[in-house]
Parts: sequence; C-alpha cells; structure tokens
Amino acid sequence: MAETQYASDYSTSEFLVTAAAGEIVDGDTVFAGVGIPTLGALLAKMSHAPNSILATESGSIGPDPGRIILGIGDNAGVENALMDTSLWRLFSDQQRGFFTIGMVSGAQVDKYGNLNSTAIFGDRDYVHPAARLPGSGGANDIASSALRTVITMPLQKRRFLEKVDYNTSPGYLDGYDSREKAGLKRGGPSAIITNKCIFRFDSVTKEAYLYSVHPGVTVDDVKNEVSWDLVVPDDVRETLPPTAAQIEIIRSLDPMGIYIGDGLKNMNFDTYIKMLEKSYKEL
Amino acid sequence: MTDYKRLSNKLTTLSDAIGTFVSDGSSLCFSGMAGGQCVAHTYEIIRQKKTDLVLIGDSPCEAGDLLAGAGSLRRMEIAYCSYAVAGLGYNFRRAVESCIPREIELVDYSNYTIGLRFLAGAIGVPYIPSRSLLGSDIPVYNKDVKIERDPFGGELVSLIPAARPDTAIVHVSRADKRGNGQMFGFSANAENMARAANHTILTCEELVTTEEIRENGNLTIIPEYCVDAVVELPYACHPWNMPFAYAYDIPFHSDQLAQFATRENFLKWLDEWCFSAESHEGYLRKVGYERLDQLTRIERKFCKLKV
Repeated sequence: MAETQYASDYSTSEFLVTAAAGEIVDGDTVFAGVGIPTLGALLAKMSHAPNSILATESGSIGPDPGRIILGIGDNAGVENALMDTSLWRLFSDQQRGFFTIGMVSGAQVDKYGNLNSTAIFGDRDYVHPAARLPGSGGANDIASSALRTVITMPLQKRRFLEKVDYNTSPGYLDGYDSREKAGLKRGGPSAIITNKCIFRFDSVTKEAYLYSVHPGVTVDDVKNEVSWDLVVPDDVRETLPPTAAQIEIIRSLDPMGIYIGDGLKNMNFDTYIKMLEKSYKEL
Repeated sequence: MTDYKRLSNKLTTLSDAIGTFVSDGSSLCFSGMAGGQCVAHTYEIIRQKKTDLVLIGDSPCEAGDLLAGAGSLRRMEIAYCSYAVAGLGYNFRRAVESCIPREIELVDYSNYTIGLRFLAGAIGVPYIPSRSLLGSDIPVYNKDVKIERDPFGGELVSLIPAARPDTAIVHVSRADKRGNGQMFGFSANAENMARAANHTILTCEELVTTEEIRENGNLTIIPEYCVDAVVELPYACHPWNMPFAYAYDIPFHSDQLAQFATRENFLKWLDEWCFSAESHEGYLRKVGYERLDQLTRIERKFCKLKV
C-alpha cells in the first residue's frame, strides 16, 4: 500500500474543508450550507465517500456540478441534480430522518453545541441588539432534525461561550437529556471543527471536550480561546493533516479562492467569466 | 370587482401589476431562495413608494434588505436576511440595530417553518406541527409559534401558523398568458406562496403558449386558477442567477454591497439603479445586454435544458 502523502503547504480554510469532509462517511446524505461545508461535502464525494449525496436548501438534491457553488440557490446546485424540488419537500425529507448529516455554523457556540446566528446582544437586547446577524436560515431545522450535525467555526474566545446570547440552532441545550426532553428525539452535534482543533461531545453529559489539536497547536492554545473550563481528556490526539491529493481537489473546486482565500475581493466580471469558462473546459 | 383569477388573458406590465395588487400596508411574499430572487419586482415597489408593508419570507435578500433600506417595511417575518457569499444585509442591520430609516417589527422563523407557513396557507389549514424550533430561543421571542403536546401521542411539537399574504410575487422560468407557471430547477416556496396568497402576480423569464405548457405538464408548479396577473420579465433576478437561464453575477453583487455599507451610498445606489433607471428595462440597459448575454451563454454551457 502506498504511503499517504500529506500536504506540506495548506491554508487554515483548506484544513477546515478536509476536517469537515472527514466527518462524512460513504452513503451519507449531507445537508450543507455554502462555503467550507459544501467544499467539504464535495471533497468527500470526490474522495472517500463517492456515494454521498449533497442537498441544498432551495430544493436541489444530489447535484454533480462542474463549477463552484456560489450560494444555496446557485445554478451549480441544480447542475446534474438527481432531483429539483421545493423547499418544504426537501426540509420535510430531513424532518422525516433521511438526511444523515448536516453542517451548521454560527457566530457563537456554547459547551453544549448550541449555536447563535441571530443576534449579539452586547449591552442591548434581542429587539435592538449590538449586532443583528442574518438569522437561522435553515440552521435551526438542520440542528433539530439531521441525524447528526457538524459545526464548523473559527476558534475565538468571543465565539466559544459558556452560554450563547440567543439559541438559534439547538445542540444539547443544557446537557444530559435536556435535548430529548424538549422534544428533539434524535440528532445533535457530533463535532465542532475549528481552525485549531476538533471538539466532540461526552455521551452522558453532552458537554464538548477536546478531541484533537491540529499540528503545531497546543492544548493551552485551545484553552485560551474557550470561555468555559474545557474538559481535556488524557488522550488528546493530533488531527491528521490534509493529504496532497485532498488539497489538489479543493483547489480545483475553488480555483479563485473564493472560500479558501480572498478570491472574491480580487474578482471582476472578466476574471469571473474566465474562471467559469476554465471550469467548463476541464469538465 | 374584477375577478382577476378568471381572466383568460392576464398579461400586464410590472408597474400595472404592482400598482394593482400592492397597496400601502399590504403583506407580501417573494419567490426565490438565494437564486431566482425577485429583484426587478422589489425595485418597482420602491419606485412606486409603497409603504408600511409586511414581508413574509424564507431568506429574502433584495426584497428584505432593499425594502428595509428604502423604509418600505413595517414588519418582517423571516428566517434570514443577508446576501450570503456576496456579503451582509447592511440595510437590514441598520434597521434592526438602529431603526434607520425606521423601526421594523421583526419576527424570526427558520427556513423550513416559513416553508410550512406557506404550505399551511396553501392547503387551507390554520397551522402545521413540526419538530423545528423546539428547545431553541426562536419561540421564546416569536409569540406566534406555540409549543404544545401532540393530542394523539403526547410528544412536544411546535405549531407553525399559516401564512396568508395579501399578494404573492412569484417569478418562474416560463408561463402562458392564462397564468400557468413552469419552473426549471429548484422552486423553493413558489408553489405554496402562489396558493397561500389572496392575489398572485406571476412573472416569467419567457412567455410561451398554452400548447407549450401542455407539452410538459409535469413542469407546471402553479396552475392558472391561482394567478391574477402575468408579466414577461426577463433577467428579473439579476444579479442573482436563474436556473437554466443565466449565471450568478457575483462581481456585480460585490460592488453593490460595497456601496450598501454606508447609508449615504445606499441612497445613491437607489437613486441610480432604481429611480433614475425608471424601469426594469432601464435597469437592464444600465447593466448592459452584452454582460447579461455573457451570463446566459455561460449558463447554457453548464445546464442545457432538454425539454
């Protein structure tokens, strides 16, 4: 068996994509928001999970696009789809239990994996918050009904809180069996993937613990960016770095670095059309 | 009073349709989800200076952010307002955080529960139970949602109230003059919006004959009896994409949002792209047909319609 070639040069965003992809197993139906999660889902499909299916919120199931997906309702999400349908039908399939993994994010997360993407209150309140965020979108529905969820977000002290200002997307609520008691019979987060480490959740307390640190990151680096007293088991491992093959796929999926770099900033109409034409030629 | 839904020819113009079916204080919904959004329709509502509107929607970007910035909205019942990859909803933020240019009553939902609200409205029932929203803070602040025990099995469910907007504004791939609408690609909440609303304005990228509709009845998502007015409105979603019609003009959106970052520049944008352009045709001329044609040509390479 050939030895795995790890990538020597990769960005934090690219690492996030490979870590997200690593949560997907073959045959999964993946409900993923746009950006890092979609890239992760497509990377999984093009590597270790060829039978996984991507679902996007506007109503497309199982696309096989030849270009970058630029939104949850982008045409690339329709491209070669198995099914194009309506929003309620797609989300109902999730509520029914057909979507095995959902990818969610937020501006704040707490130790039970509850997410806030609604408002940062600051010294104000919900009605007139210090910062109004976009809102749930489909995140609450994914967090409620996907068989498991994976959270991706950058590790920062102001984001990793004892308690979120507003619980947009339920994790394990107050821990233990509180999620089930609230009527959510299944699901819940299985991991929080960050730029520095991966957290997983205790099967009894449902509290997040440190599972692995990325190469070059120490346990103290992580603790410094978490607001609560983090559970650190004795057997914290090192996250496997991306492979060279994975990085190659990611760069082919996002050739201008829209998600993995600052490609959007440097883009004009001509370079955008040229990028699409190049993607088409490479099909 | 005219029963618009019974007319055999519902063809009209965008300005007449908005003038007839949108009044000050109307509750409205717009089709599309990220792609396929009703941009031309939003600009026309702003041009006609409609005010005190109630917006019910899943994730309306232009309809949410532009109407908030123009001061047209009294209340929003939505799941999300941001331009996602292209950037933030600056007008939405200014309205909620600082009441600029006016205070908007905001009621949070999720995308699925907004979808269920239109479904409930479309099938004529007062509410639909769901597993969404349970345990979250959404029903803590949104008093229109109730958490109750299922009378059959005793489990907790959220009860999601039906939406019955005054007017649905729905954009589809093609339609006939009677109001039969066909969609290529995803349809988000379009089919239920058209059924839930009291009046429905149906706009299309391409007007076709009823015979062409009949050739592929499976593609019809909205039948004529739901529809009050039909408008042919090509490139109605620009800068957004429309499946099988044109690609997303994300560089345009990036420039637009860079300008929306300040209130002053947003008002300049409205002046230039909404009021001075005078009409959707004026907007398209300003964007440039060569640019629009490039978006169509690149789209046809990736997605060829085989109908």
